[in-house]
Amino acid sequence: MSAAMSKSINGTMTAAQMGLMSCEACQLLSRPSSSDEATYCPRCGEHLEFRRSASIQKTWALVIAATICYFPAMLLPVLVSTTLGTSEDDTILSGVAYLYTSGSWPLALIVLVASVMIPLGKLAALAWLLLSVQRGSVKNSHDRTRLYRLVAFIGRWSMLDVFVDTFTVALVQLSPLMSVAPGTGVLFFAAVVVLTMFAAETFDPRLIWDSADSPTPSHG
Amino acid sequence: MADEPLLDSLPQAVVVRKRRMRFSVIWLIPILAALVAVGIAVQRIRSQGPVITIEFKSASGIEAGKTFIKYKDVRIGLVSAVELSEDYSKVLVKAKIAKHSAGLMVADAKFWVVEPRISLSGVSGLSTLLSGNYIGFQAGKSAEEQLSFRGLDEPPTIKDQPGRRFILKARELGSLGVGDPVYYRGLQVGQVAATNLQPDGRALDITVFIDAPYDKYVTAETRFWNASGVDVTVGADGVNVRTESLASLLAGGVAFDSPDYLTLTGPAAENHAYPIYRNRVVAMKQPDPIERRFVLYFNESVRGLSVGAPVTLYGLRVGEVTAVGLHYEPSTKTFRPRVLITFFPDMLIARMNARQQVDNAKSLQGLDAAARIKLLRQMVDERGLRAQLKTGSYLTGELYVAFEYVPNAPKVKIDWTMDPMELPVVPGGFANIEAKLSSILTKVDNMPLNAIGSEVKDVLSSLNQTLKDADVLVKRLDAKLVPDLAKTLEDMRAAIGSADRVLKNTDSTLFGKDSPAPQDLRDTLQEVTRAARSVRVLVDYLERHPEILIRGKTEEKP
Repeated sequence: MSAAMSKSINGTMTAAQMGLMSCEACQLLSRPSSSDEATYCPRCGEHLEFRRSASIQKTWALVIAATICYFPAMLLPVLVSTTLGTSEDDTILSGVAYLYTSGSWPLALIVLVASVMIPLGKLAALAWLLLSVQRGSVKNSHDRTRLYRLVAFIGRWSMLDVFVDTFTVALVQLSPLMSVAPGTGVLFFAAVVVLTMFAAETFDPRLIWDSADSPTPSHG
Repeated sequence: MADEPLLDSLPQAVVVRKRRMRFSVIWLIPILAALVAVGIAVQRIRSQGPVITIEFKSASGIEAGKTFIKYKDVRIGLVSAVELSEDYSKVLVKAKIAKHSAGLMVADAKFWVVEPRISLSGVSGLSTLLSGNYIGFQAGKSAEEQLSFRGLDEPPTIKDQPGRRFILKARELGSLGVGDPVYYRGLQVGQVAATNLQPDGRALDITVFIDAPYDKYVTAETRFWNASGVDVTVGADGVNVRTESLASLLAGGVAFDSPDYLTLTGPAAENHAYPIYRNRVVAMKQPDPIERRFVLYFNESVRGLSVGAPVTLYGLRVGEVTAVGLHYEPSTKTFRPRVLITFFPDMLIARMNARQQVDNAKSLQGLDAAARIKLLRQMVDERGLRAQLKTGSYLTGELYVAFEYVPNAPKVKIDWTMDPMELPVVPGGFANIEAKLSSILTKVDNMPLNAIGSEVKDVLSSLNQTLKDADVLVKRLDAKLVPDLAKTLEDMRAAIGSADRVLKNTDSTLFGKDSPAPQDLRDTLQEVTRAARSVRVLVDYLERHPEILIRGKTEEKP
């Protein structure tokens, strides 16, 4: 560990390269057990792995699933509001357009960024991280790690749309004058958010550094 | 522990990390997502009907994504886009039609914008006040599929209901409008379906739709007339007010009926064209196939004589005034009113009783020109047939032309070869009264009123003298005659007193208790009373039934 740290701040040596496992919960370094059984952290009992198992594959699967869900989330209505017998379908994009045309462009910008661009950005970010890891890229490791932290952090906030939707549906029930029902789109939107959150979870950021120096055994 | 070096010398088993490239369960998630997404997409595409284009003049209240197309109040489509045509003159409304209604999009389907309409004949589309406008739809009968339509400007008044259309040719629309009611004997049986200007712009085609049970009353002989508003005719016949209903009074409408004098040939074919008449009277007027024209030259004002004013014979209408104008007489350099009248022999015949009608119809109508002139000449020369202007209504001063036989009419000289023939006139009506009045006034004017006045004065003064003489005479009488008169009266009173006494004696003799005379007298009086009563009864009865003097008393029925 100390040898690795002293060697370079660039992290050319990783714990895995030194044959050590780091605990993801309490960061304790421990030597791996010789047996093939699952190993646990001697200090906190966390399941120990050199790298999260099948991280890249799982992340890819979740990213792809989220990408698939992203299109219906944007195209299908998230809110079906019925005003005096006339029902109106609102997609996220039509809401943005409405906000923009009705003059409140800052609000439109917020919705556009939070609901459209951030999910898309997360998917793009994850895809880039995965590709760069698979290609064994050594560049921008710091930036990529920072990006990963951002993706992991921002994930939960994307659920705001779903909350707003749920609240609106629950509050605006003035049938028969006006009522609001959730559209199919919101399911897909929630799916996008949840899947990207899981994808961020399954992605092992340590993989970014694995290829920083020497070619490493693939753990993907 | 001794085994350790030995054990250490043993080679360690190589841990070969399995390349865990086996298919992870997690891939089920994207597969599932893809399946659901594809499923939804497929369902959307499958449920998507055709996209149609409707051309409107304006997109009032039509909004993309909000305006529905409704058929029988069922949503069959949604407007997806509203855009202008290439030349910016029209509005193209694109609408997605639901899959299940795709079969309705045929060539003669109709679209129109439903918006609140408040007219005198009703309020429609009120629901759109809250829900917004929508596009109404009416299914067509054609089998030819079509995806672009031309929207109607007005909602079709005729929905899918049995009935027939007829065309009315009008010179102008008046107060008629699409949706106005059509009346048959005051009952609303249809509607004005459309009003179109003919291509040459000279007339209008008004399409009326008569509902099914009533369309059979429309025959080739049917007359349509404008029942709009109140039909007030102020003519020589008096004031005539006629309206079909309160709604038509305000909004207008069309009425039809068949004249009674025509034999009906059964229901007319669809789209049969009819003229539309100004009012009921004009519409129902009997067509007058034979007409004779005459001209009358009056010597009086014809103010109040209008075209269409009746020409009467003894008060019965036999013709009408067709023109009123002036005639210049070069010889005398004067103008005279010239009134052209049309006389309808059929009208005259129609007034006769049945047998005479048959007898005279042929003889009157079949006469040749010469015979007709002869007959007319006899009437004019021998019987004194003359025309005169009479006042039909003193209120309005409407005049009409009256023919009458004036026995001692002055002889006239008439050129019988003229066409139209001139008929002689006599002053009549107001003119007559005026003439008489003015002759009276002239006479009054001619009286030597001043001379009469002075004579009257003389007479009065002599009368005064006479009265004075009479006064003297009376005074003389007073002095001489009155004392004598008083004495005479005294004597008379004495005489009456004696007479009174004699009568009293007689009374007791005649009507005393024992005398038979009172009884007889009473009986006689009773008889007389009874007789008097009978006479009263008889007189009463006679008063009520004077005819019994001739016919005798018939038995009275209760």
